[in-house]
Amino acid sequence: MAEGSREVVALSQSGAINSLSNGGGGTSAQTNNPLSRKLHKILETRLDNDKEMLEALKALSAFFVENSLRTRRNLRGDIERRSLAINQEFVSIFKEVKEAAKEQTQDLIVKTTKLQTESQRLEIRAQVADAFLSKFQLTADEMSLLRGTREGPITEDFFKALGRVKQIHNDVKVLLRTNQQTAGLEIMEQMALLQETAYERLYRWAQSECRALTQESCDISPVLTEAMEALQDRPVLYKYTLDEFGTARRSTVVRGFIDALTRGGPGGTPRPIEMHSHDPLRYVGDMLAWLHQATASEKEHLEALLKLVTAQGVEENIQEVVGHITEGVCRPLKVRIEQVIVAEPGAVLLYKISNLLKFYHHTISGIVGNSASTLLTTVEEMHLLSKKIFFNSLSLHASKLMDKVELPPPDLGPSSALNQTLTLLREVLASHDSSVVPLDARQADFVQVLSCVLDPLLQMCTVSASNLSTMDMATFMVNSLYMMKTTLALFEFTDRRLEMLQFQIEAHLDTLINDQASYVLTRAGLSYIYNIVQQHKPEQGPLAKVPNLDSVALKTAMVQFDRYLAAPDNLLMPQLNFLLSATVKEQILKQSTDLVCRAYSEVHAAVMDPANEYKDPENILHRSPQQVQALLLMI
Amino acid sequence: MATAPYNYSYIFKYIIIGDMGVGKSCLLHQFTEKKFMADCPHTIGVEFGTRIIEVSGQKIKLQIWDTAGQERFRAVTRSYYRGAAGALMVYDITRRSTYNHLSSWLTDARNLTNPNTVIILIGNKADLEAQRDVTYEEAKQFAEENGLLFLEASAKT
Repeated sequence: MAEGSREVVALSQSGAINSLSNGGGGTSAQTNNPLSRKLHKILETRLDNDKEMLEALKALSAFFVENSLRTRRNLRGDIERRSLAINQEFVSIFKEVKEAAKEQTQDLIVKTTKLQTESQRLEIRAQVADAFLSKFQLTADEMSLLRGTREGPITEDFFKALGRVKQIHNDVKVLLRTNQQTAGLEIMEQMALLQETAYERLYRWAQSECRALTQESCDISPVLTEAMEALQDRPVLYKYTLDEFGTARRSTVVRGFIDALTRGGPGGTPRPIEMHSHDPLRYVGDMLAWLHQATASEKEHLEALLKLVTAQGVEENIQEVVGHITEGVCRPLKVRIEQVIVAEPGAVLLYKISNLLKFYHHTISGIVGNSASTLLTTVEEMHLLSKKIFFNSLSLHASKLMDKVELPPPDLGPSSALNQTLTLLREVLASHDSSVVPLDARQADFVQVLSCVLDPLLQMCTVSASNLSTMDMATFMVNSLYMMKTTLALFEFTDRRLEMLQFQIEAHLDTLINDQASYVLTRAGLSYIYNIVQQHKPEQGPLAKVPNLDSVALKTAMVQFDRYLAAPDNLLMPQLNFLLSATVKEQILKQSTDLVCRAYSEVHAAVMDPANEYKDPENILHRSPQQVQALLLMI
Repeated sequence: MATAPYNYSYIFKYIIIGDMGVGKSCLLHQFTEKKFMADCPHTIGVEFGTRIIEVSGQKIKLQIWDTAGQERFRAVTRSYYRGAAGALMVYDITRRSTYNHLSSWLTDARNLTNPNTVIILIGNKADLEAQRDVTYEEAKQFAEENGLLFLEASAKT
């Protein structure tokens, strides 16, 4: 080839020369001569190197045996004919091959299709099986969560797995309704077993968690709350866990209470409650307030613990456990309150303590409900005890009153025993008034207190007054009753007693009114005349003829009566000035004056009566009853 | 696990004191229930409410003891100062008498609590500006003189 290309270069050089030499000539250039080009091409051909050409020639020589003009002329046709024949032969042979191949692969295709279908079917089955497994079996992770190590912690995932077990156990019932009963039963059993294991593990964990809740401020973790939610499905385990919680809290509360009593807060502040034991009310109040707060806190803890529990009776559970928790403090509380009560700090303090206990009974029952909580029972017991000792103390006081009855003081005022007792009563009633006990209970107490104190008091006054004159006695009794009345009037629920006292006062007032009227009539010289006038009957003849009732006697009396009319105050019984109540005194004066007026008008009417044969009666009694009334009412 | 292992890290006890009708129970109700109680009955003795709040990432449970303002309960409510981390002393800005009684409440609070108990003065009913009877400045000065925290509030608004 290298040689050939050199020749081409040489040729083109010569061509270039030619074209240069024939620059202006009209003859066609040698290089563009087709013949020369063909020649060139042939000359360029290197036959010994062209394998294809050699092959072709070799093949040609196989059938081109005779080189003659005729054969040369027919060569092309021969070659074409030959090519056709070869192709035809190829086609027929290939057809055979194709037929054979087709026959052979048919079987394979069928097999493949079959296998494909099988594979699809299996795949679907696998999917179904997977779906079944994921629906009815737990993953390995879930399994290990549920079985876990005994002491391992419980996490959120545990509850998810537990929920799954429950779900599966529930769903598997569908299988039992189909003809997959064996699988259903097996799964059910498996799940039941797993559930039991899981619940037991959960229970042990919850139990030890609860056991550790011994701090005064106890925080319920959300996981424990969830554990209780899960455990509600196993009532026995649920109850045992609650018991464990209750026991742990119970001892914590007792310890807290004793610490508050004897040690106080950290570093001594707040100071221990027992530091105030000299002040019974504060001592008892502080203890009960502490318990109230502890009870409320414990209830809150339980509410947090059972927040997610939906089973019925949660409220009862809470009350029951709070009752159990607060049971421990009952003894130390009882011992202390009993000490206070038995030391008899006096009726008023006893009563205040009793009211305080009643108040806390009410307050604490608002938290623990009305269930039979020992704490409530203890508080109620202490309330009853304090009330009993209180009434004992009142009764003792009352019986002392009767033991040594004093004589009334010279001013007929209330005796010192009465004053003292009324002060006591006032203090008791006042402390009741400030108490927080419900209305009806308060009313019942009042009735008892009043009868416990007032009845002996009235008796004492009566006995004490028994040796006095009527006037002195009435005055003394009115004063004493009046004192009682004014004391009671300040308080509620005393209406009936006040009414009773008022009746008694009025009874004594009648005495005083009548006595005052007759005191005036006697001293005004009208008493004798009035008596005769009253008793005189017309058939006894005219009054003027009755001895000592003649006009002279009447005139003398009238002079005295005029003196009275001029200064009625001079004719006041001395006892009336001892009356404590101005109103009462006023009332006596008014009503006795009315009586005097009435007496005068009767006498006046009799004198004016012509049947009584007084001469010039207007001269004898120169004042008309109206005049007398007007004069007396001026005071 | 998404939630913290505990609901709260600290628990604090508070006590609310002050005259009758200044709105102590309403403040507590607003704080715990986020609702205004229009006609709140008188508190009998002592009641309580709780709420968990978050302070700089720490959850704190507040246990608030709401005392009756009536004088007749004074002896009972005195027992509840014990162990209180703070006392909320409330008066009514529309009633001067409730402000005038503060010193008596303060005496109780000082005598019955720890020295480190925080006392907070609260002027309630701040929504009733038209009926104001105690100025902000006056109460602020009282609070400063006595080392109290002070704020005005309204349980209603």
